[in-house]
Amino acid sequence: MADIKIEIDGQIVNAKAGETLIAVTDREGISVPRFCYHKKLSTSASCRMCLVDIEGVPKPQTSCSTPVSDGMKIHTQNDKAKASQKAVMEFLLINHPLDCPICDQGGECELQDVAVEYGSDVSRFSEGKRVIAASDIGPLIQTDMTRCIHCTRCVRFGSEIAGMMEMGGTGRGEDLKIEPFLAQGITSELSGNMIDVCPVGALTSKPFRYELRSWQMASVDSIARHDLTGSNIYAQTYKGQVKRVVSGDNEAVNETWISDRDRFSYEGLAHENRLLAPQIKVSGQWKEVEWDVALDFAVKGLNKHVLNNRKAHQLGGLASNTATTEEFYLMQKLLRELGCENLDYRLNINNLEQAIELASNIKLEELESIDYALVIGSNLRLEQPMINHRLRKAQLAGAQISAVNVKAFDYNFKTNHSTVAPQEIATLLAGILKCILEKQSIELPAYLAHVSSGELSLELADKLLNAESSVIVLGEHIVNNAQAAGIAQLVTEIAKRVKGATLNVSMTANALGAQHANFVPTSSGMNANEMLKADMRAFLLLDVYPEYDFHHASSAIEALSKEDVFVVSINSFNNDVIAKYADVLLPMAAMYETSGSHININHDIQSFKAVVQAPEEAKPAWKILKVLADLLELPGFHYENSTQISGELAHQSVHEHNQNSALALNAKSTKIETIWMHSAYHSDVLLRHAKSLSMSKIGQTNIASMSASTAKELSLKEGDYYLGVPVDITSDMADGCVFVSSNQATMGGLQ
Amino acid sequence: MISDNAKKQIDTWIAKYPEGRQSSAVMEALKIVQAENENQLSHDTIQAVADYLNMPGIAAAEVATFYENYNHQPVGKHIIRFCHNISCMLNGSDDLIAHLETKLGVKTGEVTKDGLISVKKVECLGACVGAPMFQIGDQYYENLTTDKIDDIVDGLK
Amino acid sequence: MNEVCFKNLDKDQCWSLETYEASGGYSTWRKILKGEYTPDEIINELKISGLRGRGGAGFPTGLKWSFMPRNAEGQKYIVCNSDEGEPGTCKDRDILRFNPHAVIEGMAIGGYVMDATVGYNYIRGEFMEPFKRFEGALKEAYAAGLLGKNINGSEVSFDLYSHLGAGAYICGEETALLESIEGKKGQPRFKPPFPANVGLFGKPTTINNTESFASVPDIMQNGGQWFADLGVENSGGTKLFSVSGHVNNPANFEVSMGMPFSELLELAGGMRNGAKLKAVIPGGSSTPVLTAEAAMAMTMDYDGIDKAGSMLGAGSVIIMDDSTCMVEALTRLAHFYYDESCGQCTPCREGTGWLYRVLKRIMDGQGKADDIDLLLGVQEKIMGNTICALGDAAAMPVESFLRNFREEFEYYIEHKKSMVKG
Repeated sequence: MADIKIEIDGQIVNAKAGETLIAVTDREGISVPRFCYHKKLSTSASCRMCLVDIEGVPKPQTSCSTPVSDGMKIHTQNDKAKASQKAVMEFLLINHPLDCPICDQGGECELQDVAVEYGSDVSRFSEGKRVIAASDIGPLIQTDMTRCIHCTRCVRFGSEIAGMMEMGGTGRGEDLKIEPFLAQGITSELSGNMIDVCPVGALTSKPFRYELRSWQMASVDSIARHDLTGSNIYAQTYKGQVKRVVSGDNEAVNETWISDRDRFSYEGLAHENRLLAPQIKVSGQWKEVEWDVALDFAVKGLNKHVLNNRKAHQLGGLASNTATTEEFYLMQKLLRELGCENLDYRLNINNLEQAIELASNIKLEELESIDYALVIGSNLRLEQPMINHRLRKAQLAGAQISAVNVKAFDYNFKTNHSTVAPQEIATLLAGILKCILEKQSIELPAYLAHVSSGELSLELADKLLNAESSVIVLGEHIVNNAQAAGIAQLVTEIAKRVKGATLNVSMTANALGAQHANFVPTSSGMNANEMLKADMRAFLLLDVYPEYDFHHASSAIEALSKEDVFVVSINSFNNDVIAKYADVLLPMAAMYETSGSHININHDIQSFKAVVQAPEEAKPAWKILKVLADLLELPGFHYENSTQISGELAHQSVHEHNQNSALALNAKSTKIETIWMHSAYHSDVLLRHAKSLSMSKIGQTNIASMSASTAKELSLKEGDYYLGVPVDITSDMADGCVFVSSNQATMGGLQ
Repeated sequence: MISDNAKKQIDTWIAKYPEGRQSSAVMEALKIVQAENENQLSHDTIQAVADYLNMPGIAAAEVATFYENYNHQPVGKHIIRFCHNISCMLNGSDDLIAHLETKLGVKTGEVTKDGLISVKKVECLGACVGAPMFQIGDQYYENLTTDKIDDIVDGLK
Repeated sequence: MNEVCFKNLDKDQCWSLETYEASGGYSTWRKILKGEYTPDEIINELKISGLRGRGGAGFPTGLKWSFMPRNAEGQKYIVCNSDEGEPGTCKDRDILRFNPHAVIEGMAIGGYVMDATVGYNYIRGEFMEPFKRFEGALKEAYAAGLLGKNINGSEVSFDLYSHLGAGAYICGEETALLESIEGKKGQPRFKPPFPANVGLFGKPTTINNTESFASVPDIMQNGGQWFADLGVENSGGTKLFSVSGHVNNPANFEVSMGMPFSELLELAGGMRNGAKLKAVIPGGSSTPVLTAEAAMAMTMDYDGIDKAGSMLGAGSVIIMDDSTCMVEALTRLAHFYYDESCGQCTPCREGTGWLYRVLKRIMDGQGKADDIDLLLGVQEKIMGNTICALGDAAAMPVESFLRNFREEFEYYIEHKKSMVKG
């Protein structure tokens, strides 16, 4: 676009020919009122609030839809412009209820703000206002459509960003109503953004309804930690409680959107199951005690069970993937100072010998400009919503996307979808690699000699070869594949051959923080699964809930519950399972209550402060670990804040992993494979306690999907249960496998 | 939900538009399905049309509620769409509508007890030089008088 | 009279291909198929003819056609606007019923000129009789090898389809019409971009009114100058006027532009029952109303009606005698715009209902002294501030009725009854 000069209110400004006038005024800080315009949505030009006067044009023009041209002279404030703006304002208000005193948008209402500047004091309208009957569109969004000003931002958000047109404008003229299709409600995983884009109080947060006025709250920037994006958010607090979460702006991370998961998880903070006081188990009875008593009890227990007898090798440290990077670092430092190499955060993996090693070497923003993506083993939309959003943008811009999954998932963009059984994924990838090598006339390695490339392999190989920039995305459904490690190596190899990128979404939350902090055992230590089988004498657990976190849930509970095993459990929530095996319970701060950092898929280390104080006796885990280390008389734990830990961490080198081992495909599984995924709103402990998310359609998901032939093989029918989960027989599934999406404990958990 | 015959009719409309633009046929598809369902659209029939044309349900609902020719409430077998706009008004349509209402014992917007006829006041139907006029089905009736109305209505079965 | 669109009106089966061809129909199209015309020659004739858009805007058709990027790559479309629905207007219905082949040939010629190989005729949903006539004519034209792909090996292709509306006046707005063909609500698009660049299905598109298209074959057959000479300066040709209301012989009349209004009134049989003329809406409900004096002094052409203080619009002449209550008439028109507003943009969605409600209140005997100022204020706030012309169309009658017949409104407010009807 050519550089041009235009004149706005007598001031000469630079612009690009063809960009919209509102883009120029926004850049120049010239205030032009607007309601329907949103920089991330298509232009609608329907509210007419941004009308301005352009010299030589008889009618006023909307700034949002007018492309600028050289020499254009614009008046945003002259009588003509003001008259139009005031006229629109008056029209907008005649049917607006002006129920500001009881409206949750009060204080952050764009209509209110603009009305103060452009409205009249007296309304001449006396004909009776429009009233729209209330409708329930789900547990997350409260509607009050009488307040709606028909800007259609929510409608455009749905069709353009969420990729599912759920809201629409029915009726016409004065009867135009913004609503979803009758009782279907809103189901998008990004739906809460409609609240943010709504300029008035028509769509507000349901959990936040009638809680507070916006100006009563402090708004603190923070980082959401439920997935690999680390979306930038604002947590809004009042009297030490998080009351609402809204989106922050960061083009490189989440642009201006956040997932519903990130928006509504805070509700879990106030759940009655929070662990609020230190407790010790004396003669099988739990007793609330002071912190010093509990810590002393923990230290004495650890000394007695392992340390005094130089049995640090019989101590194990396990942490949830939601811990902060600093917590991972401190915990591994504590354990290693004690001489213990048994530590792990990879609790959900069946066979850690087959753990996936795969780089993520493309940034979120770069994903938008790829021209081909191959997604393997991920229901990306629900598992990594913002990564999915970037791929959607790529697809809309013309990229082709292939998805290879056990189930035909509902992507919100066009994909070439193939359902492939888990047992066949490695063969498929080997076929792709073979095909690529052959086309590139490269000698085949031995392990590909007996591979035959099927039709799908050929097709995908072609697509990868023809793409100028491609990415292969490997997802969480692969982690328990019998050939997972080989699959990851094949992906790396293929990407190398086609000069494409790889994206490892086989883990989530702050798993990258754990890796960065070396929270994995070296060869001398035991991994999570080995610890469950070994003769352990003590465990230190950081926010672990074995019935959900472990693949081997029942073995984990069994191992932790052994008679002579001493368990120090640091938790944000309490439950009966923990109470059974733990010996001392130390209450920790949950998300929003602690400071630290999260590492996202871009490898950005994003730091955050505590937004609120942890309730009652709960303390940030880094503090608990620090005091524990002090009491264990370990050197080097003189931290006063988490930033000092981050500083130290920055100087630590990350352990190299054995990435270079020769590729040898494990034998493929011959039995029916089960892929167990927690519903997107049950993937960590805070989410599992977030009430409104649990009530939503995604949160209610609890099905074991299988093909008819698999069901027959398992002697199951509709109405039956598989591992405690209702059976869903569908033609969307590959044979030979079951895909569970559940809000229940893993693999039947305690069964 | 949509009969084979209706699908066949819808397909002839789809064929008029470029590939992938089958939602252009939504207006006719809704009419065709409406005609098969007692002149009325429901949530389910709208969804069925949307599914058939591979468009979001709410997008079909937008169309079904925007245009005036779709009914979302029970209507008669015959709908008398009486123009009451300016040219017809100047030619006495208000009196004729009142006459029709009295004759049928219903108000505009209502259906006769036997479900045969409903009366609707509509905006200009583009036959102003034949005012006053109304439409029943595909047919326009122009230069109406009370006698003419009686004849036409008495002939409805 | 009846020299262009209606020239075969008196013949049997005037809508048939046979009748049409007997009077020289499709001769231009056949010449095009033989390669005897260049697009520029056709545009030139149209420019000479002085044909202006008959849908209401009056934009010169030849100029409009020259704006189409006809050399641009890819599909282009030509669209006929037969979504006739402005109160007072009923001429396109008769063109479709009585001369459908002129529309087809006009569109085909336009398609050739602008390299649009596909056309759609958007016919309002209630026009089932005209739709069937038009479909019948299409069938005849296809059967006669006049339409299709690579017609007779000419390398000229033109496929034409009709699309039916479903009851929405706003679809007569050309971009709303395009949205409607795309299977959406008829909500006008903001401009730019203009349809000539981004139109139907995102492709360059030209939209013309039925009467405009139907005039093209005769212009080509007889020459642009012939057509221009039928009319007066700035208003070439003949025009269909739909004369309705309080006249003895309401009908569509195809007459030369520039005819005095008084003559047109005579053609329509004069005032019914010998009543006194009170007011005339000369171009359809959205054009300003004129007093009898102003009307009687006016000629029926673009400049003549403009000079009288209104617009030629679609040539829809609504005649009101002295028994007409102007408050009632305006209320009816206000209801129309209130009912037909698409609801998309604020001033029209909120303002049309406001106007109607105030007028309704006056008619219910609850008018207030400042209601006239309020009406004038509200219409002024709509005027010029909306996406499409419906806002202006709703505003203009209010302004002109109040300007020309203010005393009737004042009377109604004060006495809570009509000055005319009591």
